[in-house]
Amino acid sequence: MASVRMGEIAVSRDPAEELVALGLGSCIGLTILDRGAGVAGLAHVVLPESQPGAGPAGKFADLAIPELIRLLHSVGAVDRRFETVLVGGARMFEMSGGLDIGARNEAAVRAALSHYRISVRAAETGGNMGRTVRVFVGAGIVTCRSGGTSAVTLLQGRSAGRSEAQPAAAAAAGARANLAGVPRGRR
Amino acid sequence: MIPPLNDMQLDALRELANIASGTAATALSQMLGREVELNVPRALALPLADAVDACGPPEAEVSGVVFPIDGDLEALVLLLIPAEHAHALCAMLGVEAGTDVGDSALCEIGNILGTSYLNGLAAMTGLALLPSPPTLKSDMLAAIVSSLLAATSGIDDLALVLDSELDVSGEACSISFLLLPTVGQIDGLLAPLGLAG
Repeated sequence: MASVRMGEIAVSRDPAEELVALGLGSCIGLTILDRGAGVAGLAHVVLPESQPGAGPAGKFADLAIPELIRLLHSVGAVDRRFETVLVGGARMFEMSGGLDIGARNEAAVRAALSHYRISVRAAETGGNMGRTVRVFVGAGIVTCRSGGTSAVTLLQGRSAGRSEAQPAAAAAAGARANLAGVPRGRR
Repeated sequence: MIPPLNDMQLDALRELANIASGTAATALSQMLGREVELNVPRALALPLADAVDACGPPEAEVSGVVFPIDGDLEALVLLLIPAEHAHALCAMLGVEAGTDVGDSALCEIGNILGTSYLNGLAAMTGLALLPSPPTLKSDMLAAIVSSLLAATSGIDDLALVLDSELDVSGEACSISFLLLPTVGQIDGLLAPLGLAG
């Protein structure tokens, strides 16, 4: 399991890999998958906009999206097969005068995605609760869990016949997902 | 970018946290009529991701009471109470956890402890610190801490966390105190001690 923490980006083509962003609040866990290539990437975006001299690219929506796309390309992903899932962007605290960073994060991530002509397949955003997103690379499954509840599947596993990826590896990853209490994807 | 803090500065900040949380420990002890132990505080200047990890397991269920500070220093004070410890604390106060009354009691505890903490800090530094009313949130630890750090860190990937822990003797009840200064404001804490970078 690879933990993707604040401001970090991870991509993988290892079918046994699981990319996880634990306890997202106002941050956005942005997942982009190319299930045809068996590739997935996850960025843990903290703020909507960078400034010159700003910290790691993964921290800011405007820098994180091109960087995630670049990393996905480097492991063989192809734009036309991109599938995208957004999780997070909550408003954890109602503070007087406090800016809603979560909502601004979501708007900035969506704007950057549309700039690159990437549409959003599924989203679990807003509200006032923390969330954990898990990406099962081999099975192509994305789940989301909020505090005190069990995980829900935002993106089901690949359906058989449509995919050319290694069935054995996908099945293994699917079994792993079941162990973790995740509903099995359609096959 | 802000320069990293040196050991002497971190020591001074740790001592500040020690005195401030000592004041809070006394207040908690008086309120509960029990002994309260104070652990040696930590002063951590870390990248955001590491700062969240340093606060505990990311998915742990906690109650957080947060209040913003204005005045001579812009910062957030955060009290973190593990969910089961919040239950114990409510029981000691004779209220039921998870109810409106329980939440309101936790918020009030946060208010009293936070104000004592700030009084300790103000006495040491001579800074005028103006707290806003507290807000309570029970959720995953990382969701609470990361959202606050996102608000205080600005574009820098550095968080200053002053962390002290109070333990109520004979009970599974601990409260962590975190002072999260807005980045760029850290000198405001160090200047009164003659240690500004």
